[in-house]
Amino acid sequence: MLSVTGLCKSFGGKPALLDVSFHVESGEIHGLLGHNGAGKSTTLGIILGMVEPDRGEALVGGISVQKDHSAALRQVGAIFESPAFYEYLSGWENLKILSGYSGPFDPKAARDVVERVGLGHRIDDKVEHYSHGMRQRLALAQSLLPEPKVLLLDEPTDGLDPEGIKWFRDFILDLRKERGMTVLFNSHLLAEVEQMCDRVTILREGRLVHRTDLKSLQHEAPIYEVDLEPWEGACDFFKLNGVSVISPGRISLPPELEPAILVAALVGSGVRVSSFAPVRRSLEDLYLEITERHSKDQALPFIPVA
Amino acid sequence: MNFLSQLRGELRKLFGRRRTYMGYVVFLAMEAIILFVFKLPRSQRSMRELIETNGLGFDNYYSSLTVTYWIMGFSMFLLGSIYFALVAGDIVAKESEDGNLRLVLARPVSRLRILLLKYAAVSIYTVSFVLFVGITGYAMAVAALGWDGGLFVWNYKMKVFAVFGSWGDGMGRIALAAVGIGISMITLSSIAFMFSCFKMKPAAATIVALSILFVDLVLQEFPFFKPYEQYFVTWRMSNWVYLLEMNISWAKLAGSYAFLFGLNATLFLIGFTAFRLRDFKT
Repeated sequence: MLSVTGLCKSFGGKPALLDVSFHVESGEIHGLLGHNGAGKSTTLGIILGMVEPDRGEALVGGISVQKDHSAALRQVGAIFESPAFYEYLSGWENLKILSGYSGPFDPKAARDVVERVGLGHRIDDKVEHYSHGMRQRLALAQSLLPEPKVLLLDEPTDGLDPEGIKWFRDFILDLRKERGMTVLFNSHLLAEVEQMCDRVTILREGRLVHRTDLKSLQHEAPIYEVDLEPWEGACDFFKLNGVSVISPGRISLPPELEPAILVAALVGSGVRVSSFAPVRRSLEDLYLEITERHSKDQALPFIPVA
Repeated sequence: MNFLSQLRGELRKLFGRRRTYMGYVVFLAMEAIILFVFKLPRSQRSMRELIETNGLGFDNYYSSLTVTYWIMGFSMFLLGSIYFALVAGDIVAKESEDGNLRLVLARPVSRLRILLLKYAAVSIYTVSFVLFVGITGYAMAVAALGWDGGLFVWNYKMKVFAVFGSWGDGMGRIALAAVGIGISMITLSSIAFMFSCFKMKPAAATIVALSILFVDLVLQEFPFFKPYEQYFVTWRMSNWVYLLEMNISWAKLAGSYAFLFGLNATLFLIGFTAFRLRDFKT
């Protein structure tokens, strides 16, 4: 449904994206992760035709944004972090003006969307009187007019309270369930991404460094957080039994080794076991692991665009 | 059809902002001051001298139409230009600065269309502002001097001297001149609009546009620039006054307005090129 191929972009000679390619299946919620300046917003900018790539292209529903901007964007709705509306106009007027750029304004469809995002009672108020949460709801409403097939969300939950974040998450998940909406989601809130996304792409310094299916994380063998004494003595024992030490206090077990047997053996060999708890690797663990690994690498060379 | 509904939205945005009305309020105040000064005995004496020296009757030509001509002709260039530059300088740059443009650019609409809509809105604002000044100026003048009387036109710089004895003739010409000023002023708006399309602050776009206008005006006053006066933008913009000549020289007017239309188109194209090449990061 959405794909980017070989995207390269530099700003003032400074590389922002280096040969980034990925695709998002129809009906998938895909997370785009990375540190500040990793190239996430530039990628979204290219998909929306706001940024012209030096090389590569973005396709929405098979249509190139760079070659047929209007036809490609007719399928897209977008929400940005801190959306800037016309403050001096009402929410309704904003919807009317913005959706008017996509085609004739349909008041009935707009009313339905407004009710659905829970803004019905305030839609005729000026936007300058809206809270941040209400602005995000209005942003969501405008992105759904007229009905898009793909939603691009650029840090949409930033600044929202926990209730707002949960509401937003549920709303997006419902949209996917009802309409099979494809979503590309860019956020720093990894727990949020983990709960919503099917797959994630991680960017670092303009390069794609990792792509994973989040279901595979759930099926991974757990790691164990342990509190043992003496640690050195336990490590010798681990070496003999094929146990990997991830970091002090964190181990992973070979598939054939039962945790209960390992604990009994440790106790039997005179190691005092205060705690031994399984923890599943979270997206945050994976993200930090990957970014740490890449930060240890030498500076990535910039490939100049021909 | 869709262009018209989008233009309506663009006008709603433009006229929904308080600063758009700043010029209207200032002009109303200025018109009141002009009329007040016109009524003072020393001002009347000076006007009487000017009119009677030319062998005309003061009572007929010291009229609401003559005052309207003075208000429009002499205030629009220096004061009106500030508001045209302010509004046109804002129209793209302010939306870009505030981030509104991101929401627009995320829509299936071409950048050319976005700029055409904004340019049309600015042009409508410019012409409507001039007409507003003309209508309110005339209404105030009628309240102060009565509706009757002819029109006395005198412009030393453009070498135009004309008198229209009847109210009907005078009114027709002043209405025509108001449209002429409006069209001329679009050029100033076009200059500010072009800068607004570049990556710069709205205030910078306004100031640069006004600077160009004032430099053009100042240079024009130098005696050795006199042979080249037709190449100055402000000189061409002043040509609306030829609409008030006793016998209108349409060829002269066509030449000037063709120059201005050509310039406007060039400014728009430069602005569009700059806007087209810009990256808007989310």
